[in-house]
Amino acid sequence: MTEATFQITVRELYTVEYINPEVVTSVVEFGIVQPIDGNNANDWIFDTNSVHWLKKAIRLYLDLEIDWVAVCMVIDLLRQKDQLQRENAQLTAQLQRFI
Amino acid sequence: MEFKDYYDILGVREDAGLKDIKKAYRKLALTYHPDMNPDKGAEDKFKEVAEAYEVLKDTERRAEYDELRRHGGASNDGFEPPPGWQQSAGFNGSSRGASGQDFSDFFNSVFGGGFNQSHQSSSNDGFSFKGQDAEIEVPIFLEDTLAQHTRKIEYSIPVYEGQQIKHINKTLNVKIPMGVSDGERIRLKGQAGPGQGKGANGDIYLHIRLVPHPLFDVEGHNLILTLPVTPWEAALGAKVTVPTLTGKINLTVAPNSQAGQKLRIKGKGLKNKTVTGDLLVVLKIVMPQTNNEDTNKLWQQLADTTDFNPRTEWSS
Repeated sequence: MTEATFQITVRELYTVEYINPEVVTSVVEFGIVQPIDGNNANDWIFDTNSVHWLKKAIRLYLDLEIDWVAVCMVIDLLRQKDQLQRENAQLTAQLQRFI
Repeated sequence: MEFKDYYDILGVREDAGLKDIKKAYRKLALTYHPDMNPDKGAEDKFKEVAEAYEVLKDTERRAEYDELRRHGGASNDGFEPPPGWQQSAGFNGSSRGASGQDFSDFFNSVFGGGFNQSHQSSSNDGFSFKGQDAEIEVPIFLEDTLAQHTRKIEYSIPVYEGQQIKHINKTLNVKIPMGVSDGERIRLKGQAGPGQGKGANGDIYLHIRLVPHPLFDVEGHNLILTLPVTPWEAALGAKVTVPTLTGKINLTVAPNSQAGQKLRIKGKGLKNKTVTGDLLVVLKIVMPQTNNEDTNKLWQQLADTTDFNPRTEWSS
């Protein structure tokens, strides 16, 4: 049976994913993701969904050559878009049952 | 091998300055970046654009490319680097873009291969980088979220054998915990693409997608059931049997109920280790499809004896 996990430690991000510690700190400082546990930067633990957004943020930062403020805005809008699409799908499904 | 016209890809002139190249790249990257454009084909287009930018933004690399382009790069017979072609000494040998996307065979044949900075580690032994992660959508029925269950996950991973890419099929049995929710991601450590050097294998992320249910809608931890009732059940009240995810239960519809009214049944929604949701039953009043003379008489009697106007708000 394969081990399934819902979290990743910041140390894994540094040593396995080779993500620069300063980049992780920036992503957290700009509020793009928040650790679910850990009092200082070296003990942070992130949930797997946060890692998805963290990696997306880093890709945008590197590929689009934009600063963290802009990345933060893009990620915020992408999240809002995801949320609105989900809500729209839910409400459409509920409406169909009423017609 | 196909020759790539990087100027054409970015839509800039041969004598374009760095500022114009950057501007063109940003515009195209915003349109095609796979994190912002989910369309099929956007990722390939972005890779092409990123590769063109990688070459044209660098003076030395651009000069090399220009030379190659002048010497019959765009031949109809396909492209081969000239005999004795040497890559520039100053180039870092990356075969990947800023965030790790692979570049084309054309790029590698001209500029060589190697490893990129963002996903690599250097040591005395050389370069290492982590294998590629992969995300797999896993559709899950609402009923299956109520308890832990095992799912067989089948997928294939690309494995490099020299210049060739082979796909190896893999099967995993994974315990899906109770209470998973739509959009959640489960990490299977080290089950994706193999790492290079001392790099670890990539991870599989299972992206949970709840399958739309024929009866229930999901709102957070709550389930919503639309319950069709007759006009007389809504008016007089009724006892009806309604389905839940775990079996049928009896429900009392109060007299004088309205369409859209919600009845809450505690603890019959979705659950995880800490929260148990409720089942919200929404009343939908349904008219009979056909009326006979007798029922029409009864409706007429109701119309004659009832002082009710549902459009009073419109009258002002």
